[in-house]
Amino acid sequence: MNDKGQIQFLTHIPAVPPRAMILARLGYRKHATVFDLDQRQKLDKGIREGLLLCETRGAFGRFKVVERNETEVCLAPDVTFTSRSLARLLSYSDEVILMAATVGPAIVERIAQEVTHGDAALGVILDAVASETADAGLDWLMDFINKMLRKEGKKLTEQRFSPGYGDLPLANQRLIYDLLKLERLGLKLTEKCMLIPEKSVLAIAGVEGVEIYE
Amino acid sequence: MNKKEFLQLVKEKILVLDGAFGTELTKRGMPAGVCPEQWVLEHPMAIVELQREYQKAGSAAVYTCTFGANRLKLGEYGLQDRVVDMNRRLAELSRQALGPAGLVIGDLSSTGRFVQPFGDLPFEEAVEVFKEQVRGLLAGGVDLFVIETMMDIQEARAALLAVKESCDLPVIVTMTFNEDGRTLTGTDPVTALITLQSLGADAVGCNCSTGPEKMAEFIAAMKPYAKVPLVAKPNAGLPRLVDGKTVFDLPPEEFGRYVRPLIEQGVGIIGGCCGTSPVYIQTIVQNIRGMRPPVIGGPEIGALTSARKTVFLGFDQPLTIVGERINPTGKKQLQAELREGRFSEVRRFAVEQAEQGAAVLDVNVGMPGIDEQATMVKAVELLSQLVEAPLCIDSSTPEVIEAALRIYPGRALLNSISAERHKLERLLPVAARYGAMFILLPLSDAGVPATAEERCRLVGEVFARAQAFGYQKWDIIVDGLVMTVSADQKAAMETLKVIEWCSRELGCGTIIGLSNVSFGLPERSWINGAFLAMAVDRGLTMAIANPAGEMIMDLKAALDVLTQKDPNSQGYIHRFSQVKEERANQEKAAPGKTVEQRIYDAVLKGDREIIRDLLETALQEGAEAGAIVDEVLIPAINEVGRRFDRKEYYLPQLIQSAETMKSAFTFLEPKLVNANNGGGKDKARVKVVLATVKGDIHDIGKNIVALMLRNYNFEVHDLGKDVPAQDIIDKAKETGAQIIGLSALMTTTMAEMKEVIRQAKAEGLDCKFMIGGAVVNQQYAEEIGADGYAPDAYGAVKLAKRLAGQAAE
Repeated sequence: MNDKGQIQFLTHIPAVPPRAMILARLGYRKHATVFDLDQRQKLDKGIREGLLLCETRGAFGRFKVVERNETEVCLAPDVTFTSRSLARLLSYSDEVILMAATVGPAIVERIAQEVTHGDAALGVILDAVASETADAGLDWLMDFINKMLRKEGKKLTEQRFSPGYGDLPLANQRLIYDLLKLERLGLKLTEKCMLIPEKSVLAIAGVEGVEIYE
Repeated sequence: MNKKEFLQLVKEKILVLDGAFGTELTKRGMPAGVCPEQWVLEHPMAIVELQREYQKAGSAAVYTCTFGANRLKLGEYGLQDRVVDMNRRLAELSRQALGPAGLVIGDLSSTGRFVQPFGDLPFEEAVEVFKEQVRGLLAGGVDLFVIETMMDIQEARAALLAVKESCDLPVIVTMTFNEDGRTLTGTDPVTALITLQSLGADAVGCNCSTGPEKMAEFIAAMKPYAKVPLVAKPNAGLPRLVDGKTVFDLPPEEFGRYVRPLIEQGVGIIGGCCGTSPVYIQTIVQNIRGMRPPVIGGPEIGALTSARKTVFLGFDQPLTIVGERINPTGKKQLQAELREGRFSEVRRFAVEQAEQGAAVLDVNVGMPGIDEQATMVKAVELLSQLVEAPLCIDSSTPEVIEAALRIYPGRALLNSISAERHKLERLLPVAARYGAMFILLPLSDAGVPATAEERCRLVGEVFARAQAFGYQKWDIIVDGLVMTVSADQKAAMETLKVIEWCSRELGCGTIIGLSNVSFGLPERSWINGAFLAMAVDRGLTMAIANPAGEMIMDLKAALDVLTQKDPNSQGYIHRFSQVKEERANQEKAAPGKTVEQRIYDAVLKGDREIIRDLLETALQEGAEAGAIVDEVLIPAINEVGRRFDRKEYYLPQLIQSAETMKSAFTFLEPKLVNANNGGGKDKARVKVVLATVKGDIHDIGKNIVALMLRNYNFEVHDLGKDVPAQDIIDKAKETGAQIIGLSALMTTTMAEMKEVIRQAKAEGLDCKFMIGGAVVNQQYAEEIGADGYAPDAYGAVKLAKRLAGQAAE
């Protein structure tokens, strides 16, 4: 990991999403939703199958912040993120980490097949597993990068920011996609800046110093 | 210095290494951001003076300043073509600094890239990168090598192989463990130790990352399994960032307090890493005064490793089950996948077997019509990341075995080496080169001996040959050679005699391919189970079996208790308390319910499999189709909706019930005559056109809405995703749709909804619009002129009913 444009590609990320997050995405509420044994077994089978179908991979790169003001964060003359919230998140960061995680195409194809022509209930379970695994992939990457940064007395910001949320438009996916050379990860970006396979996520986090009490 | 001399040296005294370079060179004027190796070559006296200071402080050996002098790191400064020359010159500088008395250690460290299978740097490319650096260091006259600050076991393996394949000099390997006790890529200290010492490292340990206190814990964990000297090179505490600079602030005297405990835990080679200086080395020397180096001696225990786990084997360990299912023999789907280069069945078998209790996974991909070597390499790369269980590399082709062992990031079990001359001569050196344990198959070019005596003789013969390669009896597992009792009932006893002799006389572990014994007989599990118990009584330590076989795994749990290998019967209790819970949870069929009540329950439970039979029964008993719909199915699905609203049901339950309802409607539809209900054939169904708008490719939400609407008897025309506005409008006109449903997930595509509505209204289309998707809401619906927003699939049904003028639940 460095600031000389070297991108790290990880061909297998052992990300396992928290079961509670999968359930929450499916509308499960702890003190309200009632399962019988059949339901629980179907859910367990679906989660297991979903995790098997996820081939989670990722990439990340470290970039210097060359300029920053209240609304913009600039990494290079032609790479500027315009977002007040992002600029606030990166207030103490002279560098950022751009990262990507994807669960690959196999589970996306299977979800489509189950929902349209198979077992739609299984399809939505697989969908929840895929979404949460992609997010867990970013969680795992942040933990991984934090361990690398720790050697320098640095850490990542606790929060990460993804294009399409808050005031950071989705169009910024193009900047991250190009900087991380995500075609090497097997990803494509549509004209409207959507990632294919769709269960893929991009994010930005800042690099900060470790405080004395940490 | 050769390996024997190195071993003698560290047996006689604690070997003191140097401290940090980076922070010390910065003090001597090295600016930030430069290539340290190049700066040192331009300012040679800086390193010469520093290394002399270390020597004066007490370092008997110093590292060359070549931490990042590999092609990939130097490439960041455009120096990739100067690797050999720079390494040679830097080694020569160290020699100049130390003179003939000091030991110069050629320093290799990470390339900065992650190696396959974890990263994208091909393993052989990594080996070549390190070999190039080794050439330069050898030309510069180093005495031995160190591979340091490794965060990934596979990269450490690549570097170790590079040194081993370039020279016979001793080589030290130190890994960097985080505070959680694992390397960055998840390897724990014991697993790293076993993998590296098996592969030929002459000393193993840890450096960097943590301070000395935490490092003592890692050393303590390693020591019981270490056959080689242990190394510690801790930082001066944990790093912090102060004024933009990384600082380490454990003072020398405090650092020194941890030196003695480190030696007592087993360290025989010690120095400092980031933040340390010659003063810290002086402190080390003061603190070890009068201490003897720890005794170097290996444990008499077999162990296999993956990248993240160690599995110990032996007489005091539980019976080890080797999962047998990753083998294409008799598995058509797996065969088809392997031919197509796909591995989903391999993934499934691996995960399932690990969950079912296999501690080791056998991997065999031998079948006609494929490139076995390429397939095996891909399978091993996949499995070494997918599961923690170590692998057993199973092939009859030596080239396949060698390719797999070379890239496997752990210590594998080789299946197998027999006394057949060509295999023995080819495979023993291969197994030894990669430090693998192996299964010894007691058969020769003459075939399988019929008697135990002859098999034991072959075991002795192969073992004697293996000892010449450094193998000990605990590194070998003898296959008892199980023959089927249906062909020869004496066969089982011969196998048992081999197991007993190996266990009691030779003292090595044994393994059996369990299911062979019962081949050709009915109810094979009884024979298998009985044979397993008899074999364990004779000392069997491993069995190749299908862990999905509950009887075998239950029996294993019981045998582990009875042979005192399951402390406090914890494994047994855990296994059977789970079974009890599942059995207790099995619901009993509710007695005394009418068929109508059971239909109602089937919809509620989403039981599609029984709904048709129940409807058939109800019709046979005289119920009318219309009445079933009105009085049973509709109330049932309405109750499902209420439960979903109250969050008593989650989405899969709602969908399952809706699908059950659909099955029921499909079955009853032809039988409905003059029905006056929602499922009525003669009542015109409300038509809905659904689409994910142009530019948007996410359609699962829309697909579920389509499914739900259909199950609530709407006529749905689903146009799919990325649909232009005009296509949606044209379809609505063509079908006479009363409702258009639009979906968009992203902020970049939600605006297209507005365009569809604007264009439709401009063309005078008389229909209602409903919208849904992650980024839209009711307010947005109102803004763009839609008639409503649905937050979820059931909300879409209720909204569609309302828009169509039907009573909504």
